[in-house]
Amino acid sequence: MLLALWPQSWSRQQRSNATLVAALVLMVLALSLLGHVLSFFPDPIGPNAQAFSEGARTTLWLTLVSGTVGLALGTAAALARTSRWVAVRWVSSVYIWAIRGTPLLVQILFVYFALPVLVPGLNLPDFAAAVVALGLNVGAYNAEALRAGLLAVPRGQTEAARALGLGRMHVFLDVVFPQAFKISLPPLVSNFVALLKDSSLAYAIGVVELTNVGNRIQSATFQPIATLTTVAVTYLLLTTLVTQISNAVEYRFDVEGRNQ
Amino acid sequence: MTATHQPKPYIVAERVCKSFGAHQVLKDVSTVFHTGEVTVIIGASGSGKSTLLRAINRLEPHDSGRITIDGVEVCDDLGTLQRQRCEVGMVFQQFNLFGHMTVLDNVTLAPRRIRRTPRAQANAEAMQLLGRVGMQDHAHKYPWQLSGGQQQRVAIARALAMQPKVMLFDEPTSALDPEMVKEVLDVMRGLARGGMTMIVVTHEMGFAREVADRVMFFDQGRIAHDAPPAEFFGNPANDRIRAFLGQVSH
Repeated sequence: MLLALWPQSWSRQQRSNATLVAALVLMVLALSLLGHVLSFFPDPIGPNAQAFSEGARTTLWLTLVSGTVGLALGTAAALARTSRWVAVRWVSSVYIWAIRGTPLLVQILFVYFALPVLVPGLNLPDFAAAVVALGLNVGAYNAEALRAGLLAVPRGQTEAARALGLGRMHVFLDVVFPQAFKISLPPLVSNFVALLKDSSLAYAIGVVELTNVGNRIQSATFQPIATLTTVAVTYLLLTTLVTQISNAVEYRFDVEGRNQ
Repeated sequence: MTATHQPKPYIVAERVCKSFGAHQVLKDVSTVFHTGEVTVIIGASGSGKSTLLRAINRLEPHDSGRITIDGVEVCDDLGTLQRQRCEVGMVFQQFNLFGHMTVLDNVTLAPRRIRRTPRAQANAEAMQLLGRVGMQDHAHKYPWQLSGGQQQRVAIARALAMQPKVMLFDEPTSALDPEMVKEVLDVMRGLARGGMTMIVVTHEMGFAREVADRVMFFDQGRIAHDAPPAEFFGNPANDRIRAFLGQVSH
């Protein structure tokens, strides 16, 4: 949507940058003005506007931090799965298998309640526990998305790079990864948007994020329609803005102009 | 061809063998490629000619035997291998340009990363090379915007950017439309005239006749014949070659 706003004469990079800046500004504006806007609404939204706004901020923050962790973990796990060493491949496969085969809610509860028992002295606060669990979870899905990208880069690209005399690092960083990342971008964005919504499960261990806030107000005021609609619309606003950012990134990488 | 200096052995293959599974593609191949020499390798597909080329820069490690480049053995030692690959440029049938980079970035990547050439200098040198292959006006395009022939000429410029001593061409015109074959062959002809050592796997008999110093015929993993082009084409050594030439000439 945002991408279509800019003049045709602008270059790909300019449009992409403009969209990124606009979406980020909108994101900051939305978060800072959310409390203000909601305060004009009638009861039960108006009086609780500040709580909604803080919940939304926690949700976004939780998503950003665990999303970053998940991207790093996913890259590492994808590399490990395509590694030459069997043991490394195996560790990565077990990680992906375990995470994808168990419910996210169980993982969150496990990190918060079971981990301190298993590792005495490791008492994670609720937010940190949620970051660990969500990061591990999205990391496993990102790993598969990135692996698909790595495998989709034609062999000839690696051969050409090696034939030029480039070292392993440069072959990977300059030639393979940028192309793999471009291929993986759409599924990575799906994972990120899913993460934004899945972060609501952190509510189970007491993180005061958007869903938790909404549920508390709902049960205190007995007005489920108004509160839960506000929660849903806020999520929709956040996911829409995230999608704008990711579209801009995708557009920048799409040098072949395949996404019109 | 007039070599400016005395030709000396540069790439030496001794009893090189290579199998893919049960199929042996190279059987005790021994030969010497001299500096300044243009060798054209011909033969039916699957006869092992591309495999020999790919064994020289170890894209396809050989099973036994020895290959040396300027006296240094081609082996798995990464440092040596990377140095050797800088000396040996390679051009592929499918061009293999880096699709996410502009033409200019394709050409400058290796010098910038390996020689640490500053970007401005690398760009200037790349523009010169692109001029040599007639692609200077397309420097800021992406590979998908170019025709096959143009892509292959960029690929040649990219391989030349490391100032290699030898150029390997693996069927450089086989993926091209007929009208684009000439523009690529013209560039290669220019290189040969400039004294570049070249090993060319091709089906272009006209090019072999005109440019090659020697023509090598591969048959079932062996070098079946090795002669100057006049002799090779004028007086085919055996029926197998005569049959092959008959097939490719029409």
